[in-house]
Amino acid sequence: MKRSHPVLWSIAAILIVVLGVAAYVVFAPTAMDFAGGHRIALQNYSGVGPSGVPHELTSASLIGKGEYLTRAADCMVCHTARNGIPFAGGRAFVLPFGTIYSTNITPDSETGIGKYSDQNFVDAVHKGVGRDGTRLYPAMPYTSYTLMSDEDALAIKAYLFSLKPVRAPARANTLIFPFNQRFLMAFWSAFFNADKRFEPHTDRSPAWNRGAYLAEAMGHCGECHTPRNVGMALNNRKKFAGAVQAGWRAYNITPDRSAGIGEWSDDELAHYLSSGHADGRGTASGPMGEAVDESLSHLSASDIEAIVQYLRTVPAEKSPDLPATKSQAASEDFADDHSSNPRGKAVYEGACAGCHGWSGVSPSLATATLTGTRAVNDPQGSNVAQVILRGGERHTPDSSVYMPEFGSAYSDGEIASVANFVTKRFGAQGSNLTAPDIVKMRAAD
Amino acid sequence: MATNFVLNDKPISLDVEPDMPLLWAVRESAGLHGTKFGCGMALCGACTVHLDGKPIRSCITPVSSVQGREVRTIEGLASKSARAVQEAWIELQVPQCGYCQSGQIMSATALLERNQAPTDADIDAAMSGNICRCATYLRIRAAIHHAAQRLSSTQLSSGGESRS
Repeated sequence: MKRSHPVLWSIAAILIVVLGVAAYVVFAPTAMDFAGGHRIALQNYSGVGPSGVPHELTSASLIGKGEYLTRAADCMVCHTARNGIPFAGGRAFVLPFGTIYSTNITPDSETGIGKYSDQNFVDAVHKGVGRDGTRLYPAMPYTSYTLMSDEDALAIKAYLFSLKPVRAPARANTLIFPFNQRFLMAFWSAFFNADKRFEPHTDRSPAWNRGAYLAEAMGHCGECHTPRNVGMALNNRKKFAGAVQAGWRAYNITPDRSAGIGEWSDDELAHYLSSGHADGRGTASGPMGEAVDESLSHLSASDIEAIVQYLRTVPAEKSPDLPATKSQAASEDFADDHSSNPRGKAVYEGACAGCHGWSGVSPSLATATLTGTRAVNDPQGSNVAQVILRGGERHTPDSSVYMPEFGSAYSDGEIASVANFVTKRFGAQGSNLTAPDIVKMRAAD
Repeated sequence: MATNFVLNDKPISLDVEPDMPLLWAVRESAGLHGTKFGCGMALCGACTVHLDGKPIRSCITPVSSVQGREVRTIEGLASKSARAVQEAWIELQVPQCGYCQSGQIMSATALLERNQAPTDADIDAAMSGNICRCATYLRIRAAIHHAAQRLSSTQLSSGGESRS
């Protein structure tokens, strides 16, 4: 009879599981693996290349090109404190293990990037390594920017170096051990940063490749819209399937017809990206609102079309908790709402109905219509509550949108109640937010 | 770029910035001062006007969004419901300082145009967005009931159409 070794077998089993998980994480697909097909190096691509600026700007100066690309990569929003000087850093990123502050990327030689050589800058953008060799935290999305061409990175540098230097020392991060050990990011990067430039797909159209470059290398959509794995790296097996960022839900932007954007027309998508609003679909707020204001609304029409074309090709992913959006308006009759939520109704009638109406279709402003929007049809209700707390302002070149903030006017319980009232009356399924949920949202800023 | 719309039953063309609030356009360009500026944030209801018959806050409504539509201000109220409201307001001496009353009357009229026998709950729901610093709320509610009664009695005697 053979002797068994239960301990050895157990160790072997554990090892296999650990290695399996490690392999699953390490060999995860990169951002564009879903597309398959044949790729070549950027410099070998013939025809209109996917990188650089759109044709309207081909004769612009290096700084002019850099300004457009800086917008496309949306550097400013993260590198600016709330109400702070643009690009001077200081914006807080509140994480479960502490707070990270963004850094000053004006050309100040002491506190900014004034001493960065071209190689220093490219290393920071592609590899997440600072001038003195310190590792950057991946709050700086270098795993996306690593796809950016050297030429585009240096155009961005030229633009940043044309700005007025601002003396603004970086605020100290408050990360707990072991996350405060920057050198550990070298191992993280070894696992999760491919450190490879964008490779055009020869079996796809030039517009698709341009859209892929803009969405991945520049706009880094996945950093918010793709869920993360156990190592906090993007899980591209569920690419663009949605995730929660800074207390806001970045929704599913895959072509899924129910949870994603499959039902949106090309025009609706383009309009949403370039102006932050599409009739019957919603109005961008929070982090997406900032992305529209500072980045997407400045892109050329051809670039927006390219992004739309690219988004259409990502594999559809379901979000089991997101119902299809309800496009039918509620009754115009406010007396019919004998809901079990009198407090929510009372707040709604006093503060909301004037602009949003009782049916959810605003009598005055298309941007204020609630019916059919994803946030109102999200049973978690978090984005509805966030907008109520913080209000909203969009300032795109063509339009402006304004909603006051109600966070200082109403209690946590009132805000939870009215968010629940809104999602129930106008959405497919009501939310169940409570006062402690609102406390958490307030604290995240 | 000019915005063309119907103001108190008359076509009007205002050559103002498209994102100018409707309230500004009505007061400064059209010269109708009955509509008041309160908070400027759609929180108090003082600036309420009717857009296609529905009460809206003119302080945050860009004038460009009323292109081709019908706007009615306190100066243009002429319907039976509006007259009933105005008379009830006088009979019950509703206003105190009076600043919010233009907006109150616009919301009350819009309510009676669609519901000629509102309950207290209906009135609360329709009027909650109109704040009165003098707290004349009880008189406002009483006056709306009064106007509703008057409307139902005149309708019994003469029938007649209603127009916003």
